Amino acid sequence: MNPIDQNPNRLENVLKEALRRQDAPENFAADVLARIDQKSTESEPQHSWMSIFSRPALRWAACAAVFICLTLGGIHYRHVQRERAKGEAAKQQLMLALRIAGSKLQLAKERVNDINAARPQSQPESRTPRSRS
Amino acid sequence: MSTAIRNLFPIILLLVVPFVLRAQDLKLPPDIESLSAKAKETVEVNMDGPMLRWASKFLSKEDPEEKEAAKLVENLKAIYVRSYEFADEKAYSAAEVESLRSQFRTPTWSRVVGVRSEHDGENVDVFFRLENEKMAGIVIISAEPRELTFVNIVGPLEIDQLADLGGEFGIPRLKTKPPSSKPLAKADKGDRK
Repeated sequence: MNPIDQNPNRLENVLKEALRRQDAPENFAADVLARIDQKSTESEPQHSWMSIFSRPALRWAACAAVFICLTLGGIHYRHVQRERAKGEAAKQQLMLALRIAGSKLQLAKERVNDINAARPQSQPESRTPRSRS
Repeated sequence: MSTAIRNLFPIILLLVVPFVLRAQDLKLPPDIESLSAKAKETVEVNMDGPMLRWASKFLSKEDPEEKEAAKLVENLKAIYVRSYEFADEKAYSAAEVESLRSQFRTPTWSRVVGVRSEHDGENVDVFFRLENEKMAGIVIISAEPRELTFVNIVGPLEIDQLADLGGEFGIPRLKTKPPSSKPLAKADKGDRK
């Protein structure tokens, strides 16, 4: 059996002892402030890569690289757009050619059908009308 | 006599071969371009193999009409179209059209359909080029009073598929007049040379 269970007053005493009000040790505030300072100085090296831009040459090089990238990107985009426009125009031409060819072929087909339909029924089906020319 | 023929043979060959080759590889009849000067509106399409392949890349796979066109174009080698619309009737002569037609009256070409309409003056000629009994090209010459159209499609193609395209792409199928007792048009079909 637990000794605390044997004596309930002992539990109370243990709690009182544990939760007893204690004054902060001397220099507590100073220690806390010192640690905060220490942490802030430790965290500084994390941003150290930004320090490379403090050098003017590198700063200009970075600016030039960004400018070149943007320019090349823009040129490529324009090239793609132009190629797409040319492709669309070619597609339209192709469709137009097919439309014209199809419609003329359709015209010939319809005319032949017309002539076949207009022939008297007495004529044999297999006979094809011949051109007089 | 035989010696004379033997001596003349290379000359005859030199004279004939270019004509035969010209008829086989004829893209556009040379005299058709002269008609563009008289035309009010001109449509010119020149698409060879690489251009066709490239243009067909832009055909939509979702659009059923463009999908059909892509299938049709897949094996084609070239498409050449000249369509001239004239302000006046008789802007071109019958002789000029006949000159166009005559360039396809060669052994390599077969005149499959020839429609002559005295009523509305619509004349259409369709020539096929066969290679090993397979379709290798089609030429369509359509002469209407104010319009002259020349189409040369090089390569194997489905004729029915192409004719179907005439009634699609927003162009309605051509309506024909009800058959009258007296035929207005004359046609010959299967007139193989």
